[in-house]
Order: sequence, then structure tokens, then C-alpha cells
Amino acid sequence: MTHAVEVEGLTREYIMGGEPLVVLRGVTLSIEPGEIVCVMGPSGSGKSTLLNIVGGLDRPTAGTVRIEGADLAEMDDERLAIYRRKQVGFLFQSFNLIPTMTARRNVELPLLFAGASPAERTQRAVAALESVGLGHRIDHKPTELSGGEQQRAAMARAIVNEPAIVLADEPTGNLDSRTGHEILGLMREMNDAGRTLLITTHDRAIAESVADRIITIVDGSIESIEQGGTS
Amino acid sequence: MRFRDLSFLVVSNLRRMKLRLALTSLGVVIGTAAIVLMLSLGIGLQANMTASLGDLGAATHINVMGGGMGPMGTEGVVLNDEMVEQFGAIEHVEAVLPSTYVFSIQDVRYRRYQAYLNTMGVPMDAFEKFGYELEEGRLPRNNKEILLGAVIPTSFSFASDDLFMGGTTPTAPELDLLGKRLTAKVVTYPTEDEYKSDPNAPAKEEKRKFTVVGILAPSDMQTDQTAYVTMDAAIDLNDLDKRKVSYENVIVKADSVNSVAEVEQTIMDMGFYTFSARSIQDQLKSVFLIIQGVLGALGAIAMLVAALGITNTMTMSIYERTREIGIMKAVGASNRQIKRVFLGEAAIIGMLGGTGGLLFSAAGAALANLFVQALIASQTATTGGVSTETTSFFQIPVWLAIFAIAFAAGVGLLAGVLPAVRAANLDPLTALRHE
Repeated sequence: MTHAVEVEGLTREYIMGGEPLVVLRGVTLSIEPGEIVCVMGPSGSGKSTLLNIVGGLDRPTAGTVRIEGADLAEMDDERLAIYRRKQVGFLFQSFNLIPTMTARRNVELPLLFAGASPAERTQRAVAALESVGLGHRIDHKPTELSGGEQQRAAMARAIVNEPAIVLADEPTGNLDSRTGHEILGLMREMNDAGRTLLITTHDRAIAESVADRIITIVDGSIESIEQGGTS
Repeated sequence: MRFRDLSFLVVSNLRRMKLRLALTSLGVVIGTAAIVLMLSLGIGLQANMTASLGDLGAATHINVMGGGMGPMGTEGVVLNDEMVEQFGAIEHVEAVLPSTYVFSIQDVRYRRYQAYLNTMGVPMDAFEKFGYELEEGRLPRNNKEILLGAVIPTSFSFASDDLFMGGTTPTAPELDLLGKRLTAKVVTYPTEDEYKSDPNAPAKEEKRKFTVVGILAPSDMQTDQTAYVTMDAAIDLNDLDKRKVSYENVIVKADSVNSVAEVEQTIMDMGFYTFSARSIQDQLKSVFLIIQGVLGALGAIAMLVAALGITNTMTMSIYERTREIGIMKAVGASNRQIKRVFLGEAAIIGMLGGTGGLLFSAAGAALANLFVQALIASQTATTGGVSTETTSFFQIPVWLAIFAIAFAAGVGLLAGVLPAVRAANLDPLTALRHE
């Protein structure tokens, strides 16, 4: 069986102030299709870097990242952009919506770069916004939305291209616990629709409430892999 | 990404920075206006040169002036029959028309009308070779006959003796002069010998009658206003010695427009002053070339500064939108798509500036045309000449309008290359972390 994500010997080094800084040291890990995996660890442990490399926003110094058999390290920038456009969706702690665009325009953006027709874009963006319970807010700008609503819009954007994998970097980090739980509920729905989820968090309770597996990273290495509370 | 979507993205981005957009494109406005004016002047002149220079004489004619001074104040070469023969021998010369000004004719009268004529004596056989067409009648054959330029029948006014006192006389109606006899007042001044023997010898004044045998078809401005008599008549009227006659003016006709320059140079090398439609055209051209050069330089400098302004604005706006670029990359925008968005913005800034510049230059050209036309009108009014049709020295044809906007857009596009490439090559993670 093909893994959804297959990471092998993943190393990432940055040069900081002339000194090499090793963020990930030979991480090996595979994620099965439809799995929810939470990556835990203290700040600076390398969990976000792992997520960014799997999402094609960053490149490994060594090792391979295979998504459905294709190695991200071998892709050029153009191919990597297409990968991000078609195969993954992102959620960020700070939502990262474009402030000058309405919720609908923000959600349409991935479709725009994919070359979908305006009619198709609108239809799919509205459907995605409705699926996250934001159907009544489609023409509001991010500043007119609450934090929870902004993250819902970001979720709509993440799934509008029907990606197989959604990567969420501290998705509830900027939200109060009630709103955070609403978002987690929506993420479970995304998973029910067949998507593989890779979530970083430093909150053990959150990890235990959604994850099939919890991976703890300390100092760039996997310290432990345990089964989550939901499995 | 579809072009329509790209345009939408570009336009909505630009709408966020209206003031900056306006200020940045102002440079392009000035640059485009200067360049369009330069080109429109060139086009207008090209059109007018060919149209209006017919007034200065036929394109193949070279006017040779006699009585000039030679180098270092020595006596200039004299335009005499010998020279006329030499001109005729020059390669590419088709015909030579010497003419002598009949200064002794002061005015001519017909009934109660009077006109001041510019009368020239010409050999009629050569005159015929020059291809002047007759509206009616024939060429003069003897001393008593005269040929009139096309506008002379309309140039008479009511006879008045106080004309020189500043009085104005009403213009006469067009006269039918063919076959009619004109009376010329001929004044002969004492010769040098007569003056020596009697310094107070009076000028002799007599009346001579001429029959109008022909009227010329309209040609160039000068010919239209000239009356022609035979060379013999001119010599007789001016009381000259036939063997020592020299001409004020000789017109040399080249066999084609292309050989005018060569023939004119040969004659100038012989020591004569010349002018031709071509040489006047050359002089005008050099004046206009300077105007065009100044406009062109101004336009080029303005365009360069404008381009730097666009680069600067784009660089700043990309810096401010770094995070946005990161977001676009995260949701799947490729480097090429990002580049296109910013190149599009730069091109639109250029295009807007170009459109503004075009409108500006169109207004400027209209004003300049009005001014030049007024100037021409006042000039023709004072010289009493026939007014030429209104001319537009600045012309902006459709292709120039399209070119101007496309050129400005191109300048914007070029100015946007550097910032757009920078934006495209931003590392997505760094861009996303940018505050």
C-alpha cells in the first residue's frame, strides 16, 4: 500500500549568523491515507519545519519526502507550486488571509491560479465556505470576521481544491478554547471526507482529542510515536 | 491562470494605491506627451512639406541669384548669357530660364484700376520649355505683348494717387484682361554717363501700352504674382545694352527631383547663390529637426525617470505585500504567475500614463496648430498674399495613438521586470513570516 506521506532521513539545516543550525535530524516517518497525525514538541523543536517541508514550502537539506510516490526534493519550483496547488491545503496559526479580499475571493485564490473559470470558482468557493458554516459571510473581508470565522475561511481555502492532504500549523493557536474546538470539529469532518491531516500543536489535550497518532519531536528528532486518543 | 483573472487581480491591486499610481504615472504622462508631440510634428511636417512647398516653386527648379559678392568681397560672378549656356551644359539640367527684373515699370493701369506688377523679362522659348501652363491665350511674341500670372486679374485696386500716403483702396473685382491693353508707367533713370554730365538730369517718364495675350494657370506663389514680357522688351524697357546684359535671376530646371541636389551643388560651386524648394525644405527640416530633437530628448529623459519611478513604486509595493506573495505561493501560485501579476501592474501604470500623455499631447498639438495657423494667417494678411489652406503641423494619426499607449505600457513592463522577478523568487516561507 502506498503511504500518503513518506518521510525518510529528513534533515534540515539553516545557516544562522554563519553557524549551521540543525532543525531536523534524520526524521523518518510515514502517514497513511486518511490518518490524522499530530506533531507535538516545544518551540524550535522542528515541528513546523517538518510541516513546511511536507507542504512544499521549504526544501530538505537531506533525505526524501515522498507524496503518493513522488519525491518533493526532486521537483523544481514550478512543479512544487503545482503540488501545493493540487495536492495540499494549508492552515496557519495566523490564518494568512489576504486582508483586501473578501472571504470568497480568498477562497477562490487557489482556483484562480489553477485556471478555473470564474463561474466554477464562485460555485466551488461558496460551497466550501458553506461547508465550514460561513455561507452567510462570503462577502466579508477578513477584518470584518472574528478569529474563528477567519480560520473557517482559511479552511474553506485549504479544501477548495480538493487536496488529499491538509497541513495545519498550530491552527487553534490564536483562538480561544471554544472556538478552537469548533475548528477541530471541522477538521474531523475534513478527515471524514477522506483527507489526511498533519497538525502541529503544543497542546497535548488537542492532540489527544483528534489524532490517530501523536508524534513528539524534540531537538529535531522523533522522541516518541504514540497512538492518539481517537484510535 | 487566465488573462481575465490576471487583469482582475492586477486592477484590484492597483485600486488599493490610487495616489501612488497617479504620481508614478505622471512621469510617463510627461514622457509620452513629449514623444508623441515630437513624432506628430514629424508626421505633420512630412505631410505639409510635400503639400505646401509647391508654393515656393516647382520641386525640380533651382533659383540662381546674380550680383552676389565673391569670396573676400571680390566682385561676384555675373549671371550673363555665357553662364546661362554653362548651366545648360551641366549634367541633369533640362532647361535654363534667365529672367531680368523690369524695374522701370512702376505700375499698370486698366481703365480706373491700378496694379503694382512684378514684371520679368524672359526668353519665351525657354519659358515654354519650363512647362508653365496657360489658362488662356498664348505667350508674348513681341515687345508690345504681356503675359499675366494667375492671380493678377484679381490683384487690381481702384486707382489712387495717395496710395503711398498710407491710404487704402478698395480691391477691384476680378477683371477679364485677355486681349485688353494695359498702360504701364515706365520710369527711366539717367545712365551713369548722363549723370556725370548733368547730376540733375531728371528721370524720364513715359507711358507704354501692352496687350495681354495670355494668362497663366495657377502654379507656384511667385509665378502667380508675376507678369512676363519678352527678354527684348525687358532690355528695351530697362534701357540696357543688349551685349552686356546680365540677369538677376536664372531658373535651372533639373531633369528629376533626385538630381536637384547635385545640380544645385554644381552651381553653388561656380560661385552663385541658389535656392530651391529642396534647399528651403532642408533648412526648414533642420529647424524642425532641432525642435524634434529637444522634444525627443525631453521625452527620453522623462521616460527614463518615469521608468525608475515605476521600478521604485513596484519595489515598495512588493515589499509591503511580501506576506501576500507568500500566501499566494502557499495556495499554489507559481513563480511565473507571481511575476505576471507584478509585470501586469507595472504595464498598467505605464499604460495609464501613456493614455494621459496622449490626451495631453493631443490638446497640446491642437493648441500649437491653432497658434501656427494664426501666425500664417497674420503673415499672409500683411503680405497680401493668397491665404494657403489651413495646415496642421502636429498630426496624431491613429497608429501613433496606439503606438504611444503601447510604448508607455512597454516602458512600464520593462521597469517592472526587476521588481517582478524579485517578487517571483521570494522564498515562500520567508515571505509568509514577513510582517
